[in-house]
Amino acid sequence: MTAPLLQIDGVTIDYNTKKGNLHALRDISFDVNKGEIVGIVGESGCGKSTLISTILQLLPQNAEWKKGAINFKGKNLITSSEKEMRDMRGKDISVIFQDPMQSLNPVITIGRQMVDIQHRSTSPYAEKWQKAIEMLSMVGIADAETRLKQHPFEFSGGMLQRIAIAMALMSMPDLLIADEPTTALDATLEVEIIKRLKDLHKEMGCSILFISHHLGVIAELCQRVVVMYAGSVVEFGTVDEIFFNPKHPYTRRLIECDPGHIKERAKRLPTIPGEIPDLTEALEGCIFQERCSESIAKCKTATPPLVSLGQNHQAACWLNHNQEPE
Amino acid sequence: MSDPITDKETKVKMSDHHQSELLKIVGGVAKNPLGLIGLIIVGVFVFCALFAVWIVPHDPVGMNIKDRLQGPSTTYFLGTDQLGRDTFSRLIMGSQVALKVALPAVFGAMFIGLTLGMIAGYGPRWLDNFLSLVFDTIRSFPTVMFALAVVALVGPSLQTIIFVVMATSIPIYGRVARTQTLALRNSEFILAERSMGASLFRILGIHMMPNIIGVLSVLAAMDIPTVIALEAGLSFLGLGVKPPTPSWGSLLKDGYALIRQTPWLIVAGGLPIIIATLGFTFLGETLRDVVDPRLRKTR
Amino acid sequence: MTLLSVSNLKTSYGKTNVLTGVSFHVDEGETYALVGESGSGKTTLIRAIAGLAPAQEGSILFQGHELRGLSDRKMRPFRKDISLMFQDPVGSLSPRLTVGGLITEPYRIQGMNNRDLNSEAIRLLEMVGLPADMAGRYPFQLSGGQARRVGVARALALEPKLLLADEPTAGLDVSVQGELLNLLNDLRDQLGLSMLIITHNLNIVRHVSDRMGIMYLGQLVEEGTTEDVFHHSKHPYTRALLSASPKPDPHAKMDRIILHGDPPSLLKRPSGCEFRSRCPFAKDICKETPEWNETHGHKVRCFIPLS
Repeated sequence: MTAPLLQIDGVTIDYNTKKGNLHALRDISFDVNKGEIVGIVGESGCGKSTLISTILQLLPQNAEWKKGAINFKGKNLITSSEKEMRDMRGKDISVIFQDPMQSLNPVITIGRQMVDIQHRSTSPYAEKWQKAIEMLSMVGIADAETRLKQHPFEFSGGMLQRIAIAMALMSMPDLLIADEPTTALDATLEVEIIKRLKDLHKEMGCSILFISHHLGVIAELCQRVVVMYAGSVVEFGTVDEIFFNPKHPYTRRLIECDPGHIKERAKRLPTIPGEIPDLTEALEGCIFQERCSESIAKCKTATPPLVSLGQNHQAACWLNHNQEPE
Repeated sequence: MSDPITDKETKVKMSDHHQSELLKIVGGVAKNPLGLIGLIIVGVFVFCALFAVWIVPHDPVGMNIKDRLQGPSTTYFLGTDQLGRDTFSRLIMGSQVALKVALPAVFGAMFIGLTLGMIAGYGPRWLDNFLSLVFDTIRSFPTVMFALAVVALVGPSLQTIIFVVMATSIPIYGRVARTQTLALRNSEFILAERSMGASLFRILGIHMMPNIIGVLSVLAAMDIPTVIALEAGLSFLGLGVKPPTPSWGSLLKDGYALIRQTPWLIVAGGLPIIIATLGFTFLGETLRDVVDPRLRKTR
Repeated sequence: MTLLSVSNLKTSYGKTNVLTGVSFHVDEGETYALVGESGSGKTTLIRAIAGLAPAQEGSILFQGHELRGLSDRKMRPFRKDISLMFQDPVGSLSPRLTVGGLITEPYRIQGMNNRDLNSEAIRLLEMVGLPADMAGRYPFQLSGGQARRVGVARALALEPKLLLADEPTAGLDVSVQGELLNLLNDLRDQLGLSMLIITHNLNIVRHVSDRMGIMYLGQLVEEGTTEDVFHHSKHPYTRALLSASPKPDPHAKMDRIILHGDPPSLLKRPSGCEFRSRCPFAKDICKETPEWNETHGHKVRCFIPLS
């Protein structure tokens, strides 16, 4: 079995804030194989932004690495130098964000930006321009040659997101990190972006780490899914296992709450009462215990570890242990 | 789960927490070493200016010819000038003059500029165009030339300097206030207030103004040393406050003429200007970092 | 009893026509959902009704009174009865006021200072399920869900008759969306509230609204009861919207209606049926402007409605 492309192993990150140490990420472990699409499902406060910043080694000043490693193509990103990271960002690892304007300069033409981003290549300008035209056409922007001479404000939100994807994939990265790229888009645009990502993935064979809180998109796009809650991984498995055989109460509740899941008009919509706990306080027991309707006594005092429940399925819940044979 | 509401009367504070916010800002500034230095220097300066009359060891305008042009001693900390007046007392008194000019000029300009800027930013297009034209026209005059022209017309005095400074500063605050107002005008919370039927005064006074005054305060803090220097410069030229009122600028003027007899007048005139400038600049820069959340480096 | 009646409303911004003749009504006690994507004009519509955006033609009747073209002063008394909730939960709260100050703003604006604003604040917080000590917090200290509820409390402070909600679940996590919608439903029953909700999220429309209208490029293209539109949609755009939501089911069948191209710009509207540039079923006849086609309260504006 070939080694995974990205291996996140026990990563723990704290933020030093005025109120104390905020335990933003605790023991995060999962991997992404070559050519695979892995989804991260999580709601606000689950730590996905911190995770992306950690992979890219772009954490703010008050972040403190406590333990863990991130192996990318065999190299530990956490111990890599800034120069090594700079070489990788935009080349081996690319990112697209929720707001495409985070990737685009509003005062420079798209064409110039798409050529500039190829700065590592020694090809002549004409070749770079040609490549830009090709990439734009690949993401379905008609009339690419004229469009390259336009500025970002002349495009709609959906088109800007496609341009951002084109730019991210220009260098043929091994890993594309997509941070909620469709959350701000209307449904019809969302499905178009998903379709493009699927097509591009087939053509380029890159791995994709797709972060979203939209379960429908995750189900449609991803092969494996990581479920995060308040800084921990609570479940990790293939998309079928997660959606049809969820082994963590949070995953189960999340699927129940998704309005797309509810077929008929409901008098009362299901919801998960309460809020995520304060991560600056000392955390005992299971992180989800306070809001869990199935918790047992053990959940209050001991933190459940991520346990393997089959070849492709891991979950962190004491309830699973009760079912295991002694 | 929401907390159960107890029988205890929960006193709910309706008013804006201006006081506690001010304390938070001051605290934030004090935590920064440069900011702390700034706070201390400005504190000393304000203290001297307020209590000058009581803390001067000698009468700043009292002539004592037989003691003229002495060097520093235990009686006269920085020596005396050509009329036997205590240089140190004149230095302390000079701070009062500096403050008497800087504070009304800068804060007056800030509040007038704030009001005009908010009106320009929030009001109809034609009013905005008119006010912007006025601002730009005034700004196009070189400050010192304008000051000299006014002094030539009206004669030198404290009031003249205050007027000149205010007139030339109002457009600066006005422009900044206008830009902030334009930016906030279409924000959702302003729209929300309009949807509830809030009056113009309410929107500008309660919802816009507190969000603009932070930025203006930073400008004001940085502006004060400029005004102090302007007053000193005019007084140095003999076009500022009338003698015998001591001003740092007039100390420099006398010291320049008497530099061979005693260098201490120049020290007494120049050093406080330098220190006050540093102090207000440190304060202003730290204030800006505290007030503008986008400049924060941490989460 | 019809509470709100909008007829042939047209708005334009400079030379750009945003709304090109919208007509619908909301009855007392009912919830009407306006569904549309960006560029459909739904935000402009709701702002025009609230008196925040000017409308050049048409009429907005609230309990028989014409609201279009009213000055701010004349509009003020109606603001007690028509209340607006904004899309950005935290951004729609004035950052320098406390929660207590924010939810009692309506009282102060309407000059009702003789009331005990303290107890009103506590009552309102209780109504939306927030603890009383939240009154001292500032907007930046609130989570999206909490800020949303403060917005609801503020909107309902004066017990309005009509609540206009702009994307009430935008920015909310899935696990708290249900909570907010349940709250709105409860309050609607308790206070006899009528609601006009605009959203692009079809998933929630099904659970909150009685009737709904689909907007495209500044016009309604289909309207009917929620059940009718969901189960028997007639307009190709409605079908496309309904089929677009990805289902949280990896094995879901994807018989999607894919729309051609991008939404046309408002400056270059297609002639005739404005949807024909993207409609997979467009024929020659669509070059004409379609009229309304109504059966049992279910209206559609299409020459070849789907069955």
